Amino acid sequence: MSKRVLVVDDNRNNRILESDMLQVAGFVVFESETAQNGIDLAFREHPDIIVMDVRLPDMRGTEAAKILRQNDRFRNVPIIFVTASVMSADKQEMIGISNIGFIGKPINTRTFALDIERYLNQNQHAAKSQKAKEST
Amino acid sequence: MNHPIDRKLTKSIHVPANIDQIQPVTKSQEYAESIINTIREPLIVLDQDLRVVTVSRSFYEVFQVKPEETVGELIYDLGNKQWDIPKLRKLLETILPEKTTFDNYEVEHDFATIGRRIMLLNARQIQRVLGKERIILLAIKDITERRDIETGLEKVRNELADVKLSQDEAYEYSESIINTVREPLIVLNQDLRVVTASRSFYEVFQVNPTETVGELIYDLGNKQWDIPQLRELLETILPEKTTFDNYEVEHDFAAIGRRIMLLNARQIHRVLGKEHIILLAIEDVTERKDAENGLEKAHEELKTLSIELKRAALAKSEFLANMSHELRTPLNSIIGFSEVLYDETFGPLNPKQKSYVNNVLTSGKHLLLLINQILDMAHVESGKMHLVLSRVSTRNLLCEISMLVENIVSKKHIHMTLDIDEDLPDIEADELKVKEILYNILSNAVKFTPEGGKIDLTARQSGTNIEIQIHDTGIGIASENMSKVFEGFFRVDAPYSRITEGTGLGLPLSKKMVELHGGELTIHSAGLNQGTTVRFSLPTQSSGGGKL
Repeated sequence: MSKRVLVVDDNRNNRILESDMLQVAGFVVFESETAQNGIDLAFREHPDIIVMDVRLPDMRGTEAAKILRQNDRFRNVPIIFVTASVMSADKQEMIGISNIGFIGKPINTRTFALDIERYLNQNQHAAKSQKAKEST
Repeated sequence: MNHPIDRKLTKSIHVPANIDQIQPVTKSQEYAESIINTIREPLIVLDQDLRVVTVSRSFYEVFQVKPEETVGELIYDLGNKQWDIPKLRKLLETILPEKTTFDNYEVEHDFATIGRRIMLLNARQIQRVLGKERIILLAIKDITERRDIETGLEKVRNELADVKLSQDEAYEYSESIINTVREPLIVLNQDLRVVTASRSFYEVFQVNPTETVGELIYDLGNKQWDIPQLRELLETILPEKTTFDNYEVEHDFAAIGRRIMLLNARQIHRVLGKEHIILLAIEDVTERKDAENGLEKAHEELKTLSIELKRAALAKSEFLANMSHELRTPLNSIIGFSEVLYDETFGPLNPKQKSYVNNVLTSGKHLLLLINQILDMAHVESGKMHLVLSRVSTRNLLCEISMLVENIVSKKHIHMTLDIDEDLPDIEADELKVKEILYNILSNAVKFTPEGGKIDLTARQSGTNIEIQIHDTGIGIASENMSKVFEGFFRVDAPYSRITEGTGLGLPLSKKMVELHGGELTIHSAGLNQGTTVRFSLPTQSSGGGKL
C-alpha cells in the first residue's frame, strides 16, 4: 500500500516541486498552504510522514509540530522540516520535538524522496523494535 | 555523485557577518582614540594578550617612548623592558582577571629614562563588542611629586619638633625647606596671619610677598582667599584635629580662574610659648580632576558606543539570516525545477532544451555557492564560525579531493602528480572545511591551467604542522594583482576566466579557514603565465577553534 505524506509549504512552487518528487517515488501526497489547514488535513488523512516548512503564514512549522505531538495519533509520525532557514540559530526552535528530520532548501531533487523514505523506514524500524520490546 | 560541494548545497549551515560593519568599527575606533588623546593623563589601551592597542599622546610625552616602538608590543617590553614591573604583572595577570576594575593601585618603579616614579594605576577591563576579546584601559597617575611633598612636609614637622635647634636656626631651616618644596606651601600663625609662604605659592597664585606676609589669609589677593570651605577647615576642623589631609576645595580665583585644590594642614606647636603655627600645603589637582572627569566621560561614551555596536551586530545577523532565507526560497524553485527537467523525469527534452535548462541549473547552483560563501565569509569575520574537530586522515582526504577534479583534469589533458610523504601524520581538524579548502585550491589550479599543463600536489610534515603545496603551470598572477587575490571577488582577467565558473571568494575563504585552524596560507607567482603556487599549513594538533 502506498505511503501517505502531507506537505505543508506556503510557497506554491516549492510545494509543487516537493509533491511531484514524492509522487514520482510512489507516495500519495496531501498538500497544505497553511499550518492550521495542515493540522486539519493530518487529522482527516492520517499521513505516515509530514513534510513541514518552518516559516508559515499563520504559525511556525515547529509550533504546528508541537500541536500535532500532543495528540496520541501523531505522537510518533515523523515530521521532516524542509526549510530555507538553514542558519544554526534557526535549528534552536526544533530542539525538544521528538522524531524530526531536517532538510535545507534548496532541496536536492535527486535525493529528496529517498531521504523522506529513509526517515520513514527508520521510524517504522524503531516502532517495530519498540513493540517487540513491549511484548516480551 | 556525493561530492562535498553538492552536500554543501543542501546541508550546510551558515551564519552572518560584518562586511559593512567594518566601517562603524573603524569610526568608533577613531572616535575612541580622539577621546584618549584629549585626556592629559597618560592612558594606555591593551588587548587581552597585554599588547598595546593604542596609547594617549601624553603617555609618549611622560614616559619618553615612541609610537613605533609601542603599539603592538607587549606592555612589559616597552622602552627596553623598563616596564617589566613585578607589581604591574600582578595587577594585570592576577588581580584584573578577577576584578575587571581596579583603582589607585600604587606602583613605584625606577625608570632608566625618567628616573624613579610613583604611579597610581586605574585599570578597567572592557568587553569588545564582537567576539570574546577584552581590552584593558590603564590610566596612569604620576604622583611622585605629591609623595615627595608629603615626605618633605613630614620632615619639616619632625625638624621643627626637634628642640635642639635654636629658634633662629629652626626658623631659617624650616624656611629653606619650605622654599625647596615645589608644592605651594603657606605657614600661618594662630591668628591665621601669614608667617611665610613658599616661592611656588607666590608663583602659582600670582601674589607677591609684600602683600602677603602678615596679612590675614582670607584677605590675600584682594580677599580672593576668603573661601567658606577654607574658613571651615581653619576655624572648625583644625582646632579639633591638629592635622587634616586631602581637604578638597574648589574656588574661582579672579587671577587664575577655577582651581580644585587638596589642602593638607598641620598644626605645630612652637618650641617656645603656647602659640602654634599652621602649615598649609596646597596641591592643585584641577588638571588631574579634569583628566579624571574626561576619562570617566570617555568611559561612558565608549560604553554607549559598545551598546550601539552590539545592537548593530545583532541587526546585521538578523539581516543576513533573512537574506539567506529569502534568496534560498526562489533558488529552491530555480534549481529544483531545472534539475527535474534536466533529468527528464517527466519526459524527454531535445538537445537544445536540455543544454539550456542545464545553463539555468548551473547558474542557480553558482548563485547558491555565492550565497553560501558570502555567509561563510561574514561568519568567519564576525568570529562566529566554529570548527568541528576530529582526527582526519590527511592521506585519504588528499586522495579523495584529487579524485573530484580527476574528471576535468583528464579532459584538459593536464598531468597531475600527488607527492604525499610516506609517514604524513593525521591531523586534528574540521574535515568538511579542510575538504573545502583543498577543493577550492585544486579547482582553481585546474581552472587556470591550460590544456597539457601540469599540477603538482606535495604534502609533508614540517615540525608540528603539515604543509601542503599545490603548484600549477597555469596563467599565474601578475604582480600588481597579487594583493587583490585575497580581497574577494577578484577574478583573473585571462582567456580562461571566461569559460570558468568561480565566485572569487574561494581563495579568501580558504585563507580564513586555514587561519581558523591555526595555519597559514600563502600564494606565490613569478608573474603572468608563470604558474601559481599555493602553500598552506595545518597544525597536527588544533590549537584554535573549538567544538560546536
